[in-house]
Amino acid sequence: MTATEPAAALALSPAAATTKPMWLWRVGRGLGTFARRSPLSAFWGCIAALIVVMALAAPVFAPYDPLKSDFRSMSKPPNERHVFGTDQIGRDVLSRVIYGSRASLTIALGAVMFGTTLGSFWGLASGFLGGRFDLISQRIIEFLQSFPDLILAMAIAMALGAGFGTVIVAIAITRIPFGGRVIRAIVLSLKELSYVEAARGVGASKMRVMLRHILPQCVAPYLILATTHLGVAIVIEAALGFLGVGIPPPTPTWGNMLADSLNAGLIPPWWLVLFPGAAITVTVLAFNLLGDGIRDILDPRLRGAV
Amino acid sequence: MYSYIVRRLAFGLVTVFAVSVLVFVILRVLPGDPLVAIFGMEGFMKLSDAERANYMAQLGLSDPLWLQYFHWVRDIGSGNLGHSFFRAESVGEMISRRGPLTAEIAILSVVLSWIVGVPVAIVSALRPNSIAENFSRFLSILFLAVPGFWLGMLIVLGLLFAFGYRAPLAGASLFADPKANLQIVVGPAIVLGLGQAAYIARMARSSLLEVIREDYVRTARAKGLSGWPVIRRHALPNALLPVITLSGILLGFVLAGSVPVERAFGTPGLGYAMFTAVNERDIFVMQNLVLLYSVVFVLLNILVDLTIAWLDPRIRYQ
Repeated sequence: MTATEPAAALALSPAAATTKPMWLWRVGRGLGTFARRSPLSAFWGCIAALIVVMALAAPVFAPYDPLKSDFRSMSKPPNERHVFGTDQIGRDVLSRVIYGSRASLTIALGAVMFGTTLGSFWGLASGFLGGRFDLISQRIIEFLQSFPDLILAMAIAMALGAGFGTVIVAIAITRIPFGGRVIRAIVLSLKELSYVEAARGVGASKMRVMLRHILPQCVAPYLILATTHLGVAIVIEAALGFLGVGIPPPTPTWGNMLADSLNAGLIPPWWLVLFPGAAITVTVLAFNLLGDGIRDILDPRLRGAV
Repeated sequence: MYSYIVRRLAFGLVTVFAVSVLVFVILRVLPGDPLVAIFGMEGFMKLSDAERANYMAQLGLSDPLWLQYFHWVRDIGSGNLGHSFFRAESVGEMISRRGPLTAEIAILSVVLSWIVGVPVAIVSALRPNSIAENFSRFLSILFLAVPGFWLGMLIVLGLLFAFGYRAPLAGASLFADPKANLQIVVGPAIVLGLGQAAYIARMARSSLLEVIREDYVRTARAKGLSGWPVIRRHALPNALLPVITLSGILLGFVLAGSVPVERAFGTPGLGYAMFTAVNERDIFVMQNLVLLYSVVFVLLNILVDLTIAWLDPRIRYQ
């Protein structure tokens, strides 16, 4: 049995040995280039990855149950048992901050997947098709942009009622116009290039030119836009939670923890204010700098555009 | 120029109309029963069907939607902004009492953002890779990530711990009690101003870097002008045009940011009123405040566009 195993592995090897390690190697090399070209972004990218891991494996990292009150230690400042202290009903702040990353990241990711993506496709279509469709789309986008984004999100979240889905929708709608504008501008300039003309010349249909020739060029700007929007979405989510229209308590989010701290008394305990806010700042910083790095690598020309 | 103004204003009018329809759709048409908002879920369940219908009729919510919209616009047109569900004060009175405070905060923060942002941009554009440039870059990246309301909470706490100081909580007008008024306004203005300054510094830097490579700047140098006058007289005026536009767009950031920031500072301004309205699910107040904020935003951006057109003939004749 032991003798046949290497042989079996060998027999399988042509597919396994060439494709899988090759793929891994290429990803590894890509990451290596990234780290060399912009070490700062790579560092913050690692932090972003750590935060994502922390959110996924929250039960492993969190020392306590984020919802369970310990009535023997309420409103305690940071000590050796509770590193970030406890809130007014004795819940461990560190555990709540760790679990809070789940809500923030889920909502930010959902809002970007829905809002930025929809906006980008809309921008692609309106830039490429032009004409009356473009004209009408541009007006709708301008109308959406005439609301300050947080206020639009507040109104929508309030009208729809609190919950994961509604907060995602509320934030996503504020992201649509930005995605639309940036991608449309890029598509407008791509449309004039000669390779697009060539594709049209050999008889490719409009749909084919748009999806096979223009769309791939929009992937890089989309990725950059999406990482930047992640940061924005996290801030808006925190603000909504802070204003009481985000995810309702007791589910911990960084925003509603900050709102909670103001209910703790006339003077909020400093550890209830400092840690959730610091978590927001570090997360947003990580995604923004990662986005900067991705932009510099994928398309340095976009500096300032996105 | 006049045709430009007329065109811009006409489009502004259309935008205001569209915005009002959107506000109406979001707050009145989307699911969510206003009676649940007023009475709470439990109170709502206790009402009989007749009572529900009665309340809906009283609030004018059982009319057809287009009629409701028409009534709303007519009320606004005649200056009647309605009442809150929960307070005696009318929305009109509330706006005239609290509005000036928020306006002061907004203006002060815009001024501050220019005072901080532009010099930082000049230094980092002229001395690339210097310590000052790296420091300002770090700060502008940091301020893009720090939520303003959190910074506000930290400032309030820090002042309390260090000096036992807290800004007065009651509203005070600039003319009746300038000292108390300034104490209230300064905190939010600094927080919002620094947030904007980060964007302004970024934009002004990249635009200045573009402009100082232009031929006319080289010509100015070649005819013997020294460094600073070239920047001040020749490069800056052109470099700052896109910054003015950005400042207009950032007004949305200020108006929106004023809500959580005023909450953090406990400022008795309009932003705080909007926070209260949202928490009480007071749709009538919310509807009028959202409309007010959006209309102010649209009008200020028209003003910015006209300023740009006045300063830059290239735009006027497009």
